[in-house]
Amino acid sequence: MKTYDVMVIGSGFAGMAAALFAANRGLSVVQTGATGGIDFSTGFIDLLAVHPMAELRVWEDPFAALAALRRDLPTHPYCRVSDDEISLALQEFTNFLGQHGLCYRGKAGKNTLALTSAGTLKPTYLLPCTLWNGIEALETKAKTLIVDFHGLKGLSARQIAEVRADWPDLKTARITFPGMGGELYPEHMAWSLADPARRTELAKIVAPLAIEAQYVGFPAILGMTDTSAVLRHMEELLGRPVFEIPTLPPSIAGPRLRAAFDRGLPDLGVRTCTQKLVTRAGFSEAGFHFTAGSGSTSVELSAQSAILASGRFFGKGLKADRHRIHEAVFDLPVTQPKNRSGWHRTAFFDPQGHEVNQAGLETDVALRPLSADGNPFHPRLHAAGAILAHQDWMRMKCGAGLAIATAYKAVASLQF
Amino acid sequence: MSTVTTRVLIIGAGVTGAGLLRDLALRGVQALLIEQRDVNSGASGGNHGLLHSGARYVASDREAAVECREEGEILRRVAPQCIEDTGGLFVAVRGDDERYVADFPSLCAASGIPCRGLDPGTARIVEPALSENLVAAFAVQDGAVDPFMLSLDNISQGLSLGCSMRRNLAAVSMEVTGRRITRVRCRDITTGEEVLIEAELVINASGAWAGLIAALAGAHINILFSMGSLIITQDRIATQVINRLRPPSDADILVPGGTVSILGTTSIRVPSPDGCRPSVAETDRIIDDARLMLPILERTRYIRAYAGVRPLVSLGPAGDDRAVSRGFSLIDHAADGVENFLTITGGKLTTYRLMAEKAADLACAKLGVSAPCRTHTETLPPSTLGKWTEPGRGPRSWVESRTEDDIVLCECEMVSRGVIDSIIDEAGAMRGRSMIKAVGMRSRVGKGPCQGGFCGPRVTCHLYDRKMVSGMQGLAELKTFTERRWRGFSPILWGVPLMQADLQEALYCGAMDLEFGPPPSTLDEESECLPAKEQP
Amino acid sequence: MDFFSIGLTLACVSAAGGALWRARTWFLRGKTFAQSGGKGPGMARRFVGGLADLVLLRRTLRHGPARWTGHMLLVLGFLPLLFLHAMDEIITRPLFSAYEPTLDPWQFLRNLFGLISLTGLVILALHRITRLKTASIPQDWALLAVVGGVLVSGFFLESFKIMSPGDFTRMTDDYFPEAESEELLALKTYWARENGVRFTIFLPTAPEITELGAELHEDRCAGCHAPTATAFVSRSMTALVPSSFNIADQGGTIFWYLHLGLAFTALGLLPWGKFFHPISTGANLLVRGGSRASRPGTSSLARGLGLDACTRCGQCSLHCSVSPIHKVLGNPDILPMDKLADLRLHLDDRLSPAQTASLVEGSHICTECLRCTQVCSAGIDLQDLWTASKKALAEEGRAGVDGEMRKSTAAEWARELSSRKLGRIGSTGAGLADRAESFWGCVQCTTCTGVCPVVAVSEDPSRDLDLAPQQIMNLLRMGLKAQTLGARMVWSCTTCYKCQENCPQGVPVADILYELRQMGADILRKKEGRA
Repeated sequence: MKTYDVMVIGSGFAGMAAALFAANRGLSVVQTGATGGIDFSTGFIDLLAVHPMAELRVWEDPFAALAALRRDLPTHPYCRVSDDEISLALQEFTNFLGQHGLCYRGKAGKNTLALTSAGTLKPTYLLPCTLWNGIEALETKAKTLIVDFHGLKGLSARQIAEVRADWPDLKTARITFPGMGGELYPEHMAWSLADPARRTELAKIVAPLAIEAQYVGFPAILGMTDTSAVLRHMEELLGRPVFEIPTLPPSIAGPRLRAAFDRGLPDLGVRTCTQKLVTRAGFSEAGFHFTAGSGSTSVELSAQSAILASGRFFGKGLKADRHRIHEAVFDLPVTQPKNRSGWHRTAFFDPQGHEVNQAGLETDVALRPLSADGNPFHPRLHAAGAILAHQDWMRMKCGAGLAIATAYKAVASLQF
Repeated sequence: MSTVTTRVLIIGAGVTGAGLLRDLALRGVQALLIEQRDVNSGASGGNHGLLHSGARYVASDREAAVECREEGEILRRVAPQCIEDTGGLFVAVRGDDERYVADFPSLCAASGIPCRGLDPGTARIVEPALSENLVAAFAVQDGAVDPFMLSLDNISQGLSLGCSMRRNLAAVSMEVTGRRITRVRCRDITTGEEVLIEAELVINASGAWAGLIAALAGAHINILFSMGSLIITQDRIATQVINRLRPPSDADILVPGGTVSILGTTSIRVPSPDGCRPSVAETDRIIDDARLMLPILERTRYIRAYAGVRPLVSLGPAGDDRAVSRGFSLIDHAADGVENFLTITGGKLTTYRLMAEKAADLACAKLGVSAPCRTHTETLPPSTLGKWTEPGRGPRSWVESRTEDDIVLCECEMVSRGVIDSIIDEAGAMRGRSMIKAVGMRSRVGKGPCQGGFCGPRVTCHLYDRKMVSGMQGLAELKTFTERRWRGFSPILWGVPLMQADLQEALYCGAMDLEFGPPPSTLDEESECLPAKEQP
Repeated sequence: MDFFSIGLTLACVSAAGGALWRARTWFLRGKTFAQSGGKGPGMARRFVGGLADLVLLRRTLRHGPARWTGHMLLVLGFLPLLFLHAMDEIITRPLFSAYEPTLDPWQFLRNLFGLISLTGLVILALHRITRLKTASIPQDWALLAVVGGVLVSGFFLESFKIMSPGDFTRMTDDYFPEAESEELLALKTYWARENGVRFTIFLPTAPEITELGAELHEDRCAGCHAPTATAFVSRSMTALVPSSFNIADQGGTIFWYLHLGLAFTALGLLPWGKFFHPISTGANLLVRGGSRASRPGTSSLARGLGLDACTRCGQCSLHCSVSPIHKVLGNPDILPMDKLADLRLHLDDRLSPAQTASLVEGSHICTECLRCTQVCSAGIDLQDLWTASKKALAEEGRAGVDGEMRKSTAAEWARELSSRKLGRIGSTGAGLADRAESFWGCVQCTTCTGVCPVVAVSEDPSRDLDLAPQQIMNLLRMGLKAQTLGARMVWSCTTCYKCQENCPQGVPVADILYELRQMGADILRKKEGRA
């Protein structure tokens, strides 16, 4: 049986980034993972926007925020990576996505406020290019038409316009999506827009409504695999800049990312065991041995090093019973509140965030998870992403950035 | 400021107040029912939903046991639509008090409560979820009752017979002149409007708030507040009610509630009837104990927890040695110097009709009305007010009778946009401060496994589309709705519910940044920080 | 009129009349199907292909040497027997003026071809006994028995004729009337020793008698009689009869009637069942022209021929892709061989409603994988028959399970089934759809619906499919199975498993939809009285 250089456990942002970085450095990589957090992604790549959490202080300059954070929270995983490493990691990651039809952009060194389906504004660092015209429209409060569809739940253009009362030139229209009725699903709409004829039909319906508008916004349905081309065509047809707004799940930002990785990683030689979770993990001085999946489709995998990027509760990296939180693959010690009464706050939206979200793995400077005695659990086991302790990605707005940066650091720290 | 005149003023729209409205209406007495929040906001909305056979009280309170049996029979006859006649089992496991088990049948017989012994093996065939360690089982005539449907149907009949009701109206002070309450000063807590009510007779049916309301007239009642928490399972664990066969204590009862089961309860002294919420410690205690009789409770998926405060009336002046009773208390405040004021409080859901009857008897005596009570014989007509709260109704109507362009907004419980629209249209002015909350109360929206995580934003979009909310109002209401569900969701967050909450926070905070923006409504009735007596 | 003439006449009338009657079905049966008449490769190529199939039995060869060898031997042995022995008066004697059945090469060849036929038949019989016993019906055994009987009785007849002293006496009476007693004795001695005749009298052994006998034989007999030793089989079989039994004459008579009787039976039964297959299968092989593919829309005559050409060799059923389903459900119409037979009966209007329902079930379980068509030794275009009959059955108002389910709306099924206890599926106990644990993991993410290709290709999923996969899971979680069974999503599911594979929480969505279909099939089966 082949022994890989590195096994990446997890196929979310951190897992995908780790597999990419390792493959780009000529290592032999095998990866396991299943549908999880990344499939519910909005597509944004957050770096850092809120610190301190309890004050809800929003930063325009993420690197300044990083400096403050490192000073105030010495146990935060961002302390393990430098600004340069972060920048390089994000560059390499977004380059890869660009090569596979998902273009990303942002303002150098600055967070951008992006429109969400709720009508709120969310600070983020890098966004899909298909959203960019919306940023311009928002920032200039331009005359804009946002279109939504009969039967698309969870995105109301009217809600967006009401919440953005500070944007009076934002108009809305509800139309019927050509060729589809009843309950609509973004994934299906996106696939149908791969057909230029369908796009032409859509444009024909929208055009008369958009006469006064300088920008036209749609829910995120503009294509699955070549979003830029679909967007450009819509712009041609409507004669105006067009942009997307991420929808609530089921959205397609996640599937777009996953599709890019499903296509691109095997091309780099990564062996991907999709829709399989690690069911057994063994290790010795020499390396690791895993069983992924179960029953007749399980596979045995052997690797010298491993990167644990298995995510949190929804991603199945952490499991919680009534009393304690456990790490799912190696049963590594998990830093956590004393008992469940301390996991969550009285108010859901408490700005301090919930303690349970900061539970996770302690690591050394090389991002190797520690065992109870404070030493690395295994010299060649590393961890990356949301499973790390002392960070709350949902409140600090650092999810994808942290995942990608720590994956970068983990791969750079691999020893052979 | 407006003035309203009525013959009888009933304060408190729990099941007792609702029953009173109906009872008086059937006797031809016009009454106005006012409620500071919404129907069943107190203990009536935070209980097991159990129609007691009475067997639970055969050792501790014979009078209550007999009352339960008699009232249970009456309710099955007159209000069958609110009741699922499930039957019940009392079960003991190894280690439980053997003497209690042995005495049980004779104690039941002494109270006239039918009880039939079952072989534990048979019991486990009938209810496979029961533990292997079962040592005794008895079948009794417990049932499950929907308290919301019960209250709404009672109120509906009262309204149809000429009575009226106002929600969100809190009694703030009373003017007592010459041994009579002349005026009750109220405030609409959503608009701030002051309303003066002039009534011939005032009945205090405000449950745990009875002491606070009585004090407005200068009367004094000692009420102890006993909070009880319950947990709801995703599935219906047992077809019948399952009771622990031992002297009554915590975590004794599992009651079926349509497609779910309700497990509880606890009994914790709290200082106030407001602001109670179930805790992590309580849910763990309940599961640790109840899993001995139903092991699946350790592994099953829970949906949420909730809590209600029971009023326990301490009879006599404070410091009296008489024990606190769970039987109900009917107090004629003539003894306190107020002739046209009475309080009915305590008791249990099963005996609400009897409580209302006794209170109405006393009220009619004071009013000089001789019409007899008819609530034990008149059938309670089903109303449409509570139609969509029935579990399973939404999905059945989706499959069998939906219109072509309808869509489902609450996926867990399959509540469609059409149903939500009908609720919005019907609720009309009764919506209170939050339309999404009104929708949630009158349907199953937010009551399924996602606890509003997905349907909350979808319903909010729809409310914006229908111009029911504008500006930031919809988001504020959504956040309030979320916090309300969070009270019940947060104590059970392990296993799958924790993944659900993880996903919800990823959407609400990670993706939509809702932790910013307008705060949840603080003046909404769900506020925990404003006890009744401090309300403006 | 004697036995021979009567028997032969009856047999011929039966054969000819029956054959015409049977051939008529070739024209009538195929007409039931809609036809479009396809065009295939050129006539010449087809004819050569067909001929090769017929003569070389190519299709049978594909399935192993045993059946091919048995069949070839039987055919190569039996045809000469038929034309040169049975029809010797019409064929052999006119062609070969010196023909006598007792002369070589005829006597030898008769035995040789008989032995070849019998060997072939034994191989075929063994094959049917060991591989096809459960699938065989009376006509399969009857054909083997009758043909085998003809062959075996022929050998015995010859044996007894060889041994028969009565025949010897008849011969000498006719052709050597002037024989003197010691000449007769000498001849008898010779014939007893050389040719195995069983005389009851004592025969001398002196050499000069034997020599005389040999001379006389040369003069008188040898012109028409080869040594019976060349009838090597029959001659050897005489050893089976103990010399003390004097039954040669009686035996000869018995076996004469037996042999002819069986032969006439075989001829008379020609139009019945498998007895006809040399003609119908042969014709079908020619018409099929060597093709192994399926040509939908063939002519109704070709279809009629195909329907008639089955030799019940069982190869199709042995190779059927859905035979595991047959093991579970037990409906023989799931397997091609029985399905074909019942399809014939159906086209002749001879099936009861319950039998027709079985046929419809078999018709719809068929996945049209083409295997049976490829392996059919008789060259029947089975796939074409299956696709054509599916349409025909549907047009008659009998659809498969999903078709029947779709005849009522989801709402109608919900109302009908709500009162029933739908907890258990057949004998397999509580299924995934009934177990609460199946749904504990669901977090309402709608991934299953998002990846479903059936939902994706629907223009209006709630209108066309009634329920999305996630909604079905929610209904089942709430115990509302009756509301799901009639939903068209259940019956349009392609079992692609994308939902189950992509579910982040391990809900077995596809397996559950499968279970619902099983339950629907169960319910329909009970309704049709085929529980």
